[in-house]
Amino acid sequence: MAYGGYQGKFLDVDLSAGRVEVHPVPEEMQRMYLGGDGVAARILWDTVRPGVDPLGPDNVLVIATGPLTGTMFPPSGRWMAASLSPLTFHWGEAHAGGFFGAELKYAGFDYLVIRGSSPEPVWLCIFDGKAQLRPAFDLWGKTVPETTDTIVRELGDPEVKVACIGPAGEKLVRYAAIMSDYWRAAGRTGMGAVMGAKRLKAIAVRGFQPVRVADPDAFFAACRDAHRAHREGEWAEYIRRTSRRYGTTGLTDAMNAIGRLPVKNHQDGYLPDVERVGCEAIRQKYRVAHKACFGCALQCKYVSHVPSGPYRGTRSEGPEYETVDAWGPNILVYDLDVVMRANYLCNIYGLDTISAGAAVAFAMELYERGLIGPADTGGMEIRWGDGETALALLEQIARREGFGRLLGEGCDLAARELGGEAWRYAITVNGLEASGQDPRSHKSVGCTYATNVRGADHLRSLSVIDELGFRSKAVERFPHLDPDVCGDLLDETYKGYMVADQEECFAVCDSLILCKYGVMWPPIYYFPEFARAISTATGMKEYADPEAVRALGRRICHLRRAFNVRLGWDRSRDTLHPRFTEEPMPSGPAKGQVCRLEPMLKEYYEVRGYDEATGLPYRDTLEKAGLSDVAGELARLGRLAERG
Amino acid sequence: MHRVGGKHGLTLGSAGPGAGITPAALGGESVQKVLLVWPERCTGCRVCELACSWEHERVFSPALSRIQVVSWKRQGVDVPMVCQQCQTALCMEACTARAVSRDPDTGAVLVDERRCIGCHMCVLACPFGGPAIHPETGKIIKCDLCGGNPRCAEMCPVGAIEYVRADRVGLARKRASLGYLTRYLDLAVKEG
Repeated sequence: MAYGGYQGKFLDVDLSAGRVEVHPVPEEMQRMYLGGDGVAARILWDTVRPGVDPLGPDNVLVIATGPLTGTMFPPSGRWMAASLSPLTFHWGEAHAGGFFGAELKYAGFDYLVIRGSSPEPVWLCIFDGKAQLRPAFDLWGKTVPETTDTIVRELGDPEVKVACIGPAGEKLVRYAAIMSDYWRAAGRTGMGAVMGAKRLKAIAVRGFQPVRVADPDAFFAACRDAHRAHREGEWAEYIRRTSRRYGTTGLTDAMNAIGRLPVKNHQDGYLPDVERVGCEAIRQKYRVAHKACFGCALQCKYVSHVPSGPYRGTRSEGPEYETVDAWGPNILVYDLDVVMRANYLCNIYGLDTISAGAAVAFAMELYERGLIGPADTGGMEIRWGDGETALALLEQIARREGFGRLLGEGCDLAARELGGEAWRYAITVNGLEASGQDPRSHKSVGCTYATNVRGADHLRSLSVIDELGFRSKAVERFPHLDPDVCGDLLDETYKGYMVADQEECFAVCDSLILCKYGVMWPPIYYFPEFARAISTATGMKEYADPEAVRALGRRICHLRRAFNVRLGWDRSRDTLHPRFTEEPMPSGPAKGQVCRLEPMLKEYYEVRGYDEATGLPYRDTLEKAGLSDVAGELARLGRLAERG
Repeated sequence: MHRVGGKHGLTLGSAGPGAGITPAALGGESVQKVLLVWPERCTGCRVCELACSWEHERVFSPALSRIQVVSWKRQGVDVPMVCQQCQTALCMEACTARAVSRDPDTGAVLVDERRCIGCHMCVLACPFGGPAIHPETGKIIKCDLCGGNPRCAEMCPVGAIEYVRADRVGLARKRASLGYLTRYLDLAVKEG
């Protein structure tokens, strides 16, 4: 009896040979790795070995859903992409909401494995169990909405869902996104550039195959309870007041209140007049419609529209908090029209708004400090707060023209090319531009950034108990620890444990695939909720035990880390940019603070079972997680720590 | 089961005030209830479709849902469309097999699967796309109001689908159409 929640098939796409094959998904893949992140980790471990060029034909791109995708467990439309990142040169993954994930499942497939590289531009058409590569000459060069519209017209069905790249992905901008459903970005770590290098312009899906679960009645009860948890009880008011009312833009004000809103290329963490770019300003001036992802109970999406001024008529979904910060406070822009425009342009060109904004902030700081001048920028003066120039740079990046050629390499590679002290102003960790957090005012973020397999990003293990003061959750989840210390933003103590706990929790979330909303803020789902959903949907009885689900999450964490360890990752990479460890926070609630990483790392390695001196996993750590083959390969490469 | 069928139309386990109490149980006149759709509230999340396909087929499939959201994604417009349970039901008049009847308790227009011959004349006759074709049986599927406890209305996260007494619809729509007035009313309250 096959497991519920899955379609049981995947597509193997060999672009070099122009061949598409349908294969059954091995049951062991489902049982050991669940879906999404877990499945991608196993596939990339098996296929992408050291020495592979991320933009070459040997790199593999996995597009995956999970067992809850397409069901009624909220939200259920998410999908993910994973590959060797051309930006970080290590583990790369990006997730998006919308509708594409569910439609891929209805089209009959759990995931796609995309190998090789096409000699000519192509797009992949997946229709109800069948798939075909089609020429994409007419699509190459088109923006995301143009590409989507053209495909929808060609297939003659308005319900076709499209994931595609824009010009930025074609031009191999190292932080190009894969966009789905017009406005949803799988943004981080340059998955769009991987698609561009493979000359795969788009993937269109449509299908009519139902998703069946193992125990329909018990699973429906779990779904209904999950929906109700958003509507009634402890978190309902919180959702009405914040998440649903403002979407993620509510975080701009909330993060400023704890001094964690990156300002001026992460120099500061506090903006005294934040209300100028705050959630209420956005809500009142720009919002025109309320939207939601597939199957969502929380419903945080909004459509915004610029009503006047030079960018009048600019209309896009979003912007999200990260975009507002990256194109507002972090480049000292207060004009929300510019933020709206930047969001729109990044979406239609297919760029990660976080890294693109960070590249502009990087350029502004270099210009201010005289490390670059008009001779480097083609005569352009790049000054803090100049929105028009920021948008001009964005256009250049998307097309890889002028100064945009260099900035499109990502801050790390650009700094290396510029040489000298430029690296000091590239606010990255392990190659990824830092997102809208600051480890000085929220200490656990330091551990999150440093140990994150994809670099300076919050979504693999951000701890929210301290961030938003969910004390009741500290009591519940860490009964052996002092909840007040757990909740203290500025105290590094216990944060290594809490980050490791969240990493396991998020690994399951990213494999099911659910949204971080509902797991982070508000923290509705945790291992017991996952256990109930997984066991009733799939019929895998062992996962009715929340501890078994945690072990599954831990296995996925280990495997992703092992992927990086095989590529040479060790203790020296678990680090932070000196801006966070050496430059005290200049103002705000966290004034004078720096992040002390060591105590958190010590706790993290201890609970993870990694050697504190080298950062490498111990053999028994991997063996206990069911990854003996992985331990064996690392041992052969001399990349495994032995106890003793 | 979440409902008890039969001529009394008693509902169990439904949410909201007055749950489980029907006008009949109070000894009053039984008033028809209808699905009231608010397109301006709909966010296009499709939870209604998932709830509907589970209720009727025990699977999750928008394609098998009796209610369907029509979307213009680029423009950001979503409208839930479902059988209107017309009083003069064209599907009923068009049916060549006398398979369409009205549920005396809920007022829902029902299709008897055993009688349905799959001729699809009702699909052609309906102006709203109410009846649809089951991809496996070729017979007609359509909204049956879940026997008086519609799952779509129960699960909609934003109240875009409500199951309300027919005699309340007019006033509810009138109030909604005057939504812009509340701005002035709020002002008056503050000033007063």
